[in-house]
Amino acid sequence: MTGRRIASATFLVSALLALATLLALPRAGACGTSPGGKLSIDATLDVNTVAPGATATLTVQVRSAGLNLPDVTLPPLTVERVGPSKSVEHTPALVERAGTSQSFSMVNNAVERSSTTVYRILPRGEGTIHIPPIRITVGRETAQTSPLTLTVSRTAVFPGPGPGSAVTGPAKTPTGRPEVFVQGAVDRAHVFWNQQILLHLKLYSRVDILGDVDWKPPATAGFWTEGLGPPRRGRVQVRGATYEVMEIPSALFPTKTGKLTIGAAQVRVRVARVVEPPDPWSMLAMPEIVPQDLALTSDPVTVTVDPLPPGAPRGFQGAVGDFRLTVHVDSLTVRAGDPVTVRATIQGTGNIATVRDPEIRGRGVTRQYVVGSSTKVDRSGDQLKGERETDIALIADQPGTLTILPVSFVWFDPEAGRYRLQRSDSVRVTVLPAAGAPAQAGRPGSGYAEAAPRAKPGPFGTLRPDPPPSAVALLGLSAIAYASALAVGGARRKKLRDPRVARLEALEGLLVRDLSRAESLAMRNEAGRAAAIAERALLLGTGIRYDVELSGAAKSERAELLRVRGAEGAEVSALESLHDSLGAIAYAPPETRVSDARHAIRAVRERLERYRRELSL
Amino acid sequence: MSRVRPCLRLALALAFALASARGSMASLAETDASDPRAQDHVDAAALYDAGTEALARGDLGPAVTFLLAAYRIDPRARDIRTNLGIARARVEAAEGSGDHGMPPAPPPFALSPAESWHLAAALALAGALVAWMAAARPRARRLLLAGSALFAAGMVFSGALLLRAREEAVHPSAVVVAPVLEVGPAPDERPLPPYLLGAGDEVRLGPSRGDLVQVRVGGNTIGWAKGSGLWRVVDAPRYTRNSGAR
Repeated sequence: MTGRRIASATFLVSALLALATLLALPRAGACGTSPGGKLSIDATLDVNTVAPGATATLTVQVRSAGLNLPDVTLPPLTVERVGPSKSVEHTPALVERAGTSQSFSMVNNAVERSSTTVYRILPRGEGTIHIPPIRITVGRETAQTSPLTLTVSRTAVFPGPGPGSAVTGPAKTPTGRPEVFVQGAVDRAHVFWNQQILLHLKLYSRVDILGDVDWKPPATAGFWTEGLGPPRRGRVQVRGATYEVMEIPSALFPTKTGKLTIGAAQVRVRVARVVEPPDPWSMLAMPEIVPQDLALTSDPVTVTVDPLPPGAPRGFQGAVGDFRLTVHVDSLTVRAGDPVTVRATIQGTGNIATVRDPEIRGRGVTRQYVVGSSTKVDRSGDQLKGERETDIALIADQPGTLTILPVSFVWFDPEAGRYRLQRSDSVRVTVLPAAGAPAQAGRPGSGYAEAAPRAKPGPFGTLRPDPPPSAVALLGLSAIAYASALAVGGARRKKLRDPRVARLEALEGLLVRDLSRAESLAMRNEAGRAAAIAERALLLGTGIRYDVELSGAAKSERAELLRVRGAEGAEVSALESLHDSLGAIAYAPPETRVSDARHAIRAVRERLERYRRELSL
Repeated sequence: MSRVRPCLRLALALAFALASARGSMASLAETDASDPRAQDHVDAAALYDAGTEALARGDLGPAVTFLLAAYRIDPRARDIRTNLGIARARVEAAEGSGDHGMPPAPPPFALSPAESWHLAAALALAGALVAWMAAARPRARRLLLAGSALFAAGMVFSGALLLRAREEAVHPSAVVVAPVLEVGPAPDERPLPPYLLGAGDEVRLGPSRGDLVQVRVGGNTIGWAKGSGLWRVVDAPRYTRNSGAR
């Protein structure tokens, strides 16, 4: 009796569950029952229309009145593409089997088994996906579903996350309740030039994010961009769903006017996708966690930038925002020669890095220097803030009063839509005499007497370092002379490389140097030395004439060499005779030596001159 | 012939360089054509007297300008070097960078531009003469080398002088005469804190834009300043008492 009640209760629960499932899911479904009524199959799609990249879920439920439960095999899908081609593909989508659960019931001794199999269908493009009838067979019982169709269209609303649904793909538009999407938004779409705009790039997620998020910032051409610190995290409610939000804020300052576009931000993220068991009542089914990489993009944002209104006050240098000027003087009394440091600080909200330093001037100032300037930017808040400090040192060398003139700063207030001017008061600084010294004591160079003025004029000259005409002429002349010297020297050296000319030059040297010296010695009654020089000149000259080396050769050998080189016999005999007479001069009587030497040297000269004539022909 | 061609090229290049240098100088001199003293016959004594007078009354900018101009004409004059050294020392002290010690007087062995040019020409001429002597002797290679070295020294020296003349033509020397001269970026340039120059600071000038002139220090441009606060050294004679141009 108790078992019967339990079986009845189980049947009731199963019936209610089936009813609930039928009410919840069947947006598109097809069921079939075998003729015997023992076997039935039911296939349902969670959506009729799906966007490309989104996932549709196909649930196939099989009931069998018996112990055998058939396997479910999904037949190949086909798609009919949209557009002019209207082609048909047989691999239109990625189909994954998400899981299968089974249940068992016994009512009035009748056993019924059922299984539920879930498929995820990820379409690859637009079109209509046809799911053919799914057929099962147990024994003689056969059941099949009706065909199903799934429309894939970009106009489809992104599916909301239902129970057991998988993580969806890229989600630009947060229509419905997507699990992950990225959004770029600005705090205002209509601004003035250089007015601060806050860009919020937010990543919304209802699933766990694995690892780091890869952000690619949007293109911000026409904007000066400043980051506002590290990513910020939080939790928000969007259409009743709780999202973890990661935000990267930035401050943008338009540098152009007109319609400017902030490009799409790209985010790559890995999420932990939880696949719920198909049958929530199954005790054995455990949730499956699958990592999935997603590439998300935000929508571009257009901002209209107006130019600043005309009529800017004098001194306006482009500062836009909300600023305040403070001026501080480090001392109201100084000694002559000591500096007074004036610090001007501009602080506020806006692009502080581009704010120009205010002009600080003084009256009674001998000289002034820029001590330094610094810029501090505060990125921790919701807006870019900061301050800029400028330190100027003013020095007065004479005692008296140093007046720091009013310091002014002009900026444009975009909230009020008008220019603002802030001006400090003038500050009077008392300058005391320098400590312990009269004014002239420390005057540089005072220990050295200045030279007195001149009484006479001159010298005269030119102040320009350009070349005077005489120097130009001299340089030009030098260049020409040097070039011609090189040319002449080169030609001369080239000429000397000719052997005939070289022999003539050598003969000329013998005539000019050696014979002249011999004649000179003969005139000084040194006939022996003169004859020796003349004999050597004759030997060398003969060798040059016949192009043969005669030095050191014996008499007979010399005659043979000359004959071989073309000398005639008479010429050879004359030469030998002349050699003999020159050699005999040393043994001649003293009274005849000089005359003999002169005679012999003359004969040598005549012979060498004849050789020169013969060579020059 | 192969040796003659490089020599001709050298001579032509030198003549062209000298002609262009004189041309650039002439274009600069056109602005002062009305003042004959700004040409070739500038009295160093008049400039020196004007500088000494300005130095005595503490007017450092004109003092440095006049004394620099006088120093260019008569660089070995002891009085000019002394007073220029004192003026420069006072400028440094006024800017807080001097040591109040011995004024840095210019060296006594300097040459004026004209003397430098003539020295360079004399060197080149001596080189040419020695080269001719070498050409007359067949095997006087050492003599030829000595002449070539002399000629090259003269040419290098004249090249350096040419560069100096061109630099002066493009970026003339000037002296700050205003008590404080603010040198900042041009109106269309990125805003930067200005440099402040004091009277007597020696700078070089670049191109002009309206009443602004580019200021260079040490070969680098530091910004733009009003031209009224600067005197070019070559214009110094215009500001002497006798010129009436001041």
